[in-house]
Amino acid sequence: MEKPFESAIGPDAEVSREEFTSVMTALEPDQIVSTKDHQHCPRRRLTRTEMIVFWALRIYLVFMVGVVVYQIWTGVR
Amino acid sequence: MKETETAPEPRGLTRSKALDDHAPDDRRALDSAVVITHEDIDRAHDRERVSETRARRGLRPRLRLFWLLIGPGMLVMLGENDGPSMVSYAATGARFGIGFFIPFIALTFLMACVVQEMTVRLGAATHRGHAELIFDRFGPFWGWFSMVDLMVGNFLTLVTEFIAIRAGLGFFGVRPAVAVLGALLVLSVALMTHRYWTWERIILGAAMFNLAFVPVALMTHPHWPAVGRAMVTWKPLPGGLTQETVLILLAVIGATVTPWMLFFQQSAIADKGLTTRDIRMGRADTMLGAALATVAALATMLATAPLFTHHMSAANFEAAEFAQALQPFVGRWGAALFAFGIFEAGMVAAITISTSSAYAFGEVARRPHSLNLPFKQGRAFYLVLLIEAAAAAGLVLIPGIPLVYIVLLVNVIAVLAMPPALLFLYMLVNDREIMGALVSPTWANVLALAVVVILIGAGLLFGISVIAPNALALVGGR
Repeated sequence: MEKPFESAIGPDAEVSREEFTSVMTALEPDQIVSTKDHQHCPRRRLTRTEMIVFWALRIYLVFMVGVVVYQIWTGVR
Repeated sequence: MKETETAPEPRGLTRSKALDDHAPDDRRALDSAVVITHEDIDRAHDRERVSETRARRGLRPRLRLFWLLIGPGMLVMLGENDGPSMVSYAATGARFGIGFFIPFIALTFLMACVVQEMTVRLGAATHRGHAELIFDRFGPFWGWFSMVDLMVGNFLTLVTEFIAIRAGLGFFGVRPAVAVLGALLVLSVALMTHRYWTWERIILGAAMFNLAFVPVALMTHPHWPAVGRAMVTWKPLPGGLTQETVLILLAVIGATVTPWMLFFQQSAIADKGLTTRDIRMGRADTMLGAALATVAALATMLATAPLFTHHMSAANFEAAEFAQALQPFVGRWGAALFAFGIFEAGMVAAITISTSSAYAFGEVARRPHSLNLPFKQGRAFYLVLLIEAAAAAGLVLIPGIPLVYIVLLVNVIAVLAMPPALLFLYMLVNDREIMGALVSPTWANVLALAVVVILIGAGLLFGISVIAPNALALVGGR
């Protein structure tokens, strides 16, 4: 279960009829914060190829950060 | 978007009394989910103005509609013309002249347009931020990975923004501690509006000062036929491929295409409340921002081109020496304008980059995340923003920190971190389940993949130049 949003408005606050109407007419249903909280994008299943590409780019990033650290080290020396 | 679960009613939210006046069926439907928040009310007010303007015909309402809808694209493009970017452009102009880099910089902004256009569609179609979509669609493992990439990259970039602020104001004799603390104060004051629209207009106004580099460039009396020739002939890289030119190439690419831009623009579009009807205007906003940013970037390069023979580099940046070195060419006012431009670039970017971190944190940690929230209700959002900025500002004040290395390498790190971030974006924008008919057309995918290939190629070239500089000869270097 996803953690719900924490308080977004004080418990003693009230929403006027005008404000309620304004929100319901001006915003699309999934723009309303509480609706977003109730609806989440379903998780997609990654294919084997996608996983390989994800990991390849992750390894690329870690390796290249190592290269940057090496350059800083040689530069400082 | 598919409903996957029903979370318990958010704590502390107030159900509208207006619900009681609805028909029983409507009421049951509304009662099950709709809880109105302060954030919803503010966003609805903005959307009402858009709807009213859209309903009218004629040129003036069209222009007003554009005025109402611009913002995220302009901010992201002008925000990316930040401290390290302007230094990269200045170092490029001073070190290599204009022959190769004028068309190259224009090309990098085209790349930025390709990438940012995808975030416009994604944000307008899903009404969700980039971090939230990665987290939901690919799971917490990849969600946190991309979040950590963003946070680390943003923090390092923020450090360079405060270096720029310190350097820019240093030209006017402002002490480093005063400059940095003053910038933090400005950043905090901008947040006090607690209203996305007001915040956006203030920062947009400040971002326009990025064009301060244009009059400085004009003061140097550029040789316009040479500029025109450089644009159409694209001369070879001066000195060929060397370790130094590869670093500059990456710094220039990283000056226009970086991960925080993806996260910021998509989250800002969701916060502003843009919908699929606004995509055309969102694209125009991005293009206009890119055009203005290109003008400012080229102006910076042209302004420093007279220093071509003086061998200035980013190493001269810390004491705002670019502005000082320019003084014989552009006078005291021109140099002051240049220094002010460096300060402005750092200030606007510090605000937008720290906001992108706060959005991403709120989306992933499922905390309220909007500039429409009062401080009390968006405490986590505002605290992440302020703490990150304050930590970066504090680091700049530590004596002996190698600021020059940080400035040089931040753009390089941005280029290296971009391919994984772009892969998420590419997959999301081609995901029919969340995008429907708005998935990327083939031509957009070809362009996006071309950008990924260019970025990976540039990253690998950098790796070769560091690990085996002699191997550059194999790819035409020396």
